[in-house]
Amino acid sequence: MEQSVRDEILTKLKAAPKAAFPARPHLPPYKTLSMDREQLIAEFITRLTEEAVVVHRAKDFPEALEKLTVVALEEGLKKVMATADDVVLRLDLPAWGKKNDIQIMTPRDFPDRESYRDAVFDQAQAGITGVDFAVAESATIGLIHNQDQARLVSLAPILHIAIVPVDRLVPVYEQVIEKVFGNKKQCPSQFVFISGPSMTGDIQGVLFKGMHGPRKVIVILVG
Amino acid sequence: MEIKTEQFTELAKKELKNDRQRLFLKLIPPVMRMKREAGFSTLPDAPAAMACGAAIRAEAMARLPELLEEFEKNATANGMKVVWARDDKEANEFIRNLAKEKGIQYVTKGKSMVTEETALNEVLEEQGIEVWETDLGEFIAQQLHRTPFHIVGPAINVPVEEVRDLFIEKIGLKEPTLDPVKLGYAARLFLRDKFHHVKMGITGVNMAVAETGTIINVENEGNIRFTKASPPIQVSVMSLEKVIPTMKDALHMVRLLCRSCTGQRLSVYVSMDSGPKKKDEIDGPEELYIVIVDNGRSKIYQDVKAREVLRCIRCGACLAGCPVWRQIGGYAYGWAYSGPMGQVLNPMLLGLDKTQELYRASTLCGACKSICPVGIDHPSLFLYYRSKDVLEDPNFKSKERPWAERQFFRIWSFAASTPWLWNLGVRMARPFINKDARDGIISKAIGPSEGWFRNRDLPSMAGFTFHDRWKKIQNTESRGQKSE
Ligand code: SF4
Repeated sequence: MEQSVRDEILTKLKAAPKAAFPARPHLPPYKTLSMDREQLIAEFITRLTEEAVVVHRAKDFPEALEKLTVVALEEGLKKVMATADDVVLRLDLPAWGKKNDIQIMTPRDFPDRESYRDAVFDQAQAGITGVDFAVAESATIGLIHNQDQARLVSLAPILHIAIVPVDRLVPVYEQVIEKVFGNKKQCPSQFVFISGPSMTGDIQGVLFKGMHGPRKVIVILVG
Repeated sequence: MEIKTEQFTELAKKELKNDRQRLFLKLIPPVMRMKREAGFSTLPDAPAAMACGAAIRAEAMARLPELLEEFEKNATANGMKVVWARDDKEANEFIRNLAKEKGIQYVTKGKSMVTEETALNEVLEEQGIEVWETDLGEFIAQQLHRTPFHIVGPAINVPVEEVRDLFIEKIGLKEPTLDPVKLGYAARLFLRDKFHHVKMGITGVNMAVAETGTIINVENEGNIRFTKASPPIQVSVMSLEKVIPTMKDALHMVRLLCRSCTGQRLSVYVSMDSGPKKKDEIDGPEELYIVIVDNGRSKIYQDVKAREVLRCIRCGACLAGCPVWRQIGGYAYGWAYSGPMGQVLNPMLLGLDKTQELYRASTLCGACKSICPVGIDHPSLFLYYRSKDVLEDPNFKSKERPWAERQFFRIWSFAASTPWLWNLGVRMARPFINKDARDGIISKAIGPSEGWFRNRDLPSMAGFTFHDRWKKIQNTESRGQKSE
């Protein structure tokens, strides 16, 4: 039956009169495309700050860990969930956690969706993730979801800490899209752009942060 | 939800009496407009970007069947299950059966206009399956049993007092408050528990990319991400016009959508699914269904002019831009789609007969057209529908005009195309038409044209016709020349 519904709809559409469509106008390039590295970083930080994202900059990964320690102290973190992506792995969080008396959970510690959901919804005070991309056009980070980058870690805890290596920063979205979706046989099951904390203005237009997702996003720029 | 598009005038009158709402409608749209303009100013060439948006959507519509096939092929290759539905019933039935088969007790939903259109919630609820709308505005609208006031802020007009009382009753709000932030937080806690244990999530689709078989959702709250990440089953419902040729096009459209909608450069979350989760992923859907709903669109598609409405990306900008919507708000339009967007869409989805007043309730000022990021020409569509309606086109389900009106226009068209009769008529009608004139203005009439004057004046007709005056002028001039 499904087959016939499909064919019926498509046949109908194909039988309709053909129409011409206008050519795409030329679009001038985005200003971020002509920026050098430091300008790009400065632009990205401006955008992040506009979206109320707290930004720390570290020259390397050891310094990033120091920044993280400060953040953990300020936020009173005792138990966090971290992904196992290549950026986070470079931080060696288990060792850091032991030293600072912070329990580090990862999605892999859990045998099934239920127990993992319990932890990420009810126990994790923060989610720590790396990012695959950052885009200076807006305050945007891009995460490829896969076995190392679980989806709820950057979403369910009230605080999201994103570790952003500066060499992953690009001027515009297109560069990300090309890398992530360039080979259509290898598209990730989900890819997400995140630009600041979750928010809403649904009651009388009053804006507030932390509607369903994180109320606060902290970016630690590395490099 | 009952469709009330036929009661537009009554509903509009009622809405006009709501003073608080009217005050709100005075305050919010200018803010929205300012934000929108600031958003567009961040594009290097905003008019070109909008023209490009129009071109992308026009191309998507011109290539619709081919793009749908390409989308289906790629989505299926990625492991999504694509299901087609002729109408609301088929779409709802599929989702209901799936939910029953999987033993689902409740679902969480991301805001989806098409399921609003198909009234999916009612069908699921009849089966005893709880439905939780999770977009804050939609959650409030659902609990109040109302249609969306605005497509982006479905309950943005609801006074805080009402939200407070609603939350006390429905979600056990413990400490009554009038602080929107605290109210929002209460909803967060309540819905969080739903997200935590949900087994099936239902979302809409902002764009479906043919090139890669990817669906895109754009949101600020995170409820759609939860609805897609937490449960093992995801159902995403799209009306068939949502396809976009390429990923690059999609990103351009996202840029326009976010700016046009809320003035943001990018909404907080733009999530793109190209398939169910892989085996070693712990969250995300094990099964991912895409329901492609026709529900009248393939019929609209047959008419090349009317097809233009299918370009709409539901940004909502034309609502706050419309001088009519800014007076009456969203409820009077009587269905899921309100404002100019609804006025062009509803007549095509429901028929010209059931939406008589919708495409007439416009001053044709063109504010909507000038704002629309995909180049929909609303005023010309209104005129098109009006003409289709009076020409009684069966394809558009027009409503038969009253007998007297038809006779009047029959005589009118005969007279207007018969010069001697016309000339005679305009001379004879003058004293009759001008008899109610006051200071050169006619503001009332008795008889069948009475209604026309309810909101309008007509300048009275000149004493003589143009031809008569011309003759007179020429006579005087030729006399003048002689006397020289
Ligand atoms: S008609 Fe145009 S302006 Fe109105 S919602 Fe659709 S895309 Fe936006």
